Amino acid sequence: MSTNHLFRARLTWTNLGNGLLVLMGLSVVLPFFWLILGSFKTGAQLNDPTLLLFNPTLENWNEIFRSGVLESTWRSAMVAFITVIFSIIIGSMGAYAISRYRSGGNVARFSILAAQVLPPAVLVFPFLEISYQLRLNDTVFAVLVPHLSFVLPVVTWFLIGFFDAVPREVEEQALVDGLSRIQALRKVVIPQVSPGIGAAAIFGFVLSWNDLFYALILAPGNSATLPVKIASFNTFRGVELGAMCAAILVAVVPVLFMSFFIQKRLVRGISGGAIKY
Amino acid sequence: MYEGVQMSLRLRLMLPLVVVFSASVGYPLLHAFYLSLTNYKITSRGDTKIVWLQQYIATLQDPNYWSSLRVTAVFVILAVFIEFWLGLFVALALQKQRKIKDLTRSFLLAPMFVTPIAIGLMFRFILNQQLGVIPTFLAKFGLAYDFFGPGKALFTIVLIDVWQWTPFMVLLLLAGLEGLSKSPFEAAKIDGASALFTFRKITLPMLMPVISVAILIRSLDAMKIFEYVFAITRGGPAIETMTIQYYTYQTGIQFYRLGLASAMSYLMLIIVMIIAVILFRRVEATRKNQ
Repeated sequence: MSTNHLFRARLTWTNLGNGLLVLMGLSVVLPFFWLILGSFKTGAQLNDPTLLLFNPTLENWNEIFRSGVLESTWRSAMVAFITVIFSIIIGSMGAYAISRYRSGGNVARFSILAAQVLPPAVLVFPFLEISYQLRLNDTVFAVLVPHLSFVLPVVTWFLIGFFDAVPREVEEQALVDGLSRIQALRKVVIPQVSPGIGAAAIFGFVLSWNDLFYALILAPGNSATLPVKIASFNTFRGVELGAMCAAILVAVVPVLFMSFFIQKRLVRGISGGAIKY
Repeated sequence: MYEGVQMSLRLRLMLPLVVVFSASVGYPLLHAFYLSLTNYKITSRGDTKIVWLQQYIATLQDPNYWSSLRVTAVFVILAVFIEFWLGLFVALALQKQRKIKDLTRSFLLAPMFVTPIAIGLMFRFILNQQLGVIPTFLAKFGLAYDFFGPGKALFTIVLIDVWQWTPFMVLLLLAGLEGLSKSPFEAAKIDGASALFTFRKITLPMLMPVISVAILIRSLDAMKIFEYVFAITRGGPAIETMTIQYYTYQTGIQFYRLGLASAMSYLMLIIVMIIAVILFRRVEATRKNQ
């Protein structure tokens, strides 16, 4: 009787909640597990999806080095890096002005917000036409400006939220203490928002790194970024499932690693300071 | 004098943003409007003429356009609905969790950082009828379910979206929950209120501003759905999963009709902006009621 009591799970909200967490956890982890297994399977082994124990092969990983995944990774990193650098410099200056001086008033805030909900299909066709005219289609340059069009508003929006959170008094005190506006900005304000700037930079990087739509249309061939390259495993010579799994892991692992550092700050950033965390 | 110096600093800070924003968003937006008034085709750029509203009329008379609007609406409503409720319960469960908190959170949030094309392709093969783990597993129990078959594909796409974006809801709602003041909950506990009562009468109303922000952001983002369709169904079976963004892509890129595609996307832009303004007002209203 007493042992029976010990083993009988009680149906409480806490138990239900933990059960839900376990289910969610499994549903998140298992697909990644499938990817890792798939990247070490041969073509024949891939035909048996339930196969868990097998002789791992490095063939798929060799294949992705041969098929230009490395170049695409490098290209994606470059595009994301350049986009983010520009966005952070330009965005933080603008965000500071919007936050402190209400520059541009509601128009500025609304434009930055609206730019984030613009369907990419609206902007992509002009970009395509212009890149044709400048003979830049299918180069990384054709992808840079379109990526700025969505990374810059997001980063600026993030930073407005973080600048809003810096108390005005701190800055005014610095001015009273004899620092100039620029010095106050550099020595007092920037250090306070630097975690926010870091989070915005990482988030902007992830957005650019993950983009398929613009890259697919503007640089589908020789200058394919990583997402476009991954998509190409789907059609080129049938499906190369094993190599596709390996390429996906290349795209996913760095981003997951970076994301661990910014999760808490993301909330304030995404909501533009509306939700504090 | 001081005022003048300050003005120039403001201007210097804003100028780069205004210039780059205008060049990368403003100009293409105007250019797209111009394109939508022409019969521009990539294959015959020489004889581009201004046709005024003809492309808009053609779009509105196209039954496939209306169908893709419907498909997108069904997708957004279903996906956001499931993501919200699932996300809310997961957030509540996470809030109660004591041990290995940060690790669980990091893991559960992982899907939202992965490039959507990778997730689309991954599930395409996990759910594939011949090669997929899940159908193979189901077959062992004598069950056959074609995830991408007629009448089912759109719902499968919804589930993939739920897999990727429920974490986003969890992130925002959890932040909201942890920001709530503790006293109403303590008072309810002393009064002996049930968990369900506390949830309905205290948690939900107090969380409302965060809920509306989360739903606003997620709905507007879900309207851009493209990658899963591109990776898996390409609009099929028939046009069951032909979303607006995919249909516009097809018209502009596969059929080279940039003029028509621009008109389609401009109409979509108007719809998105109307929905954004309506939802945004509701967000502001709930915030003021607090």
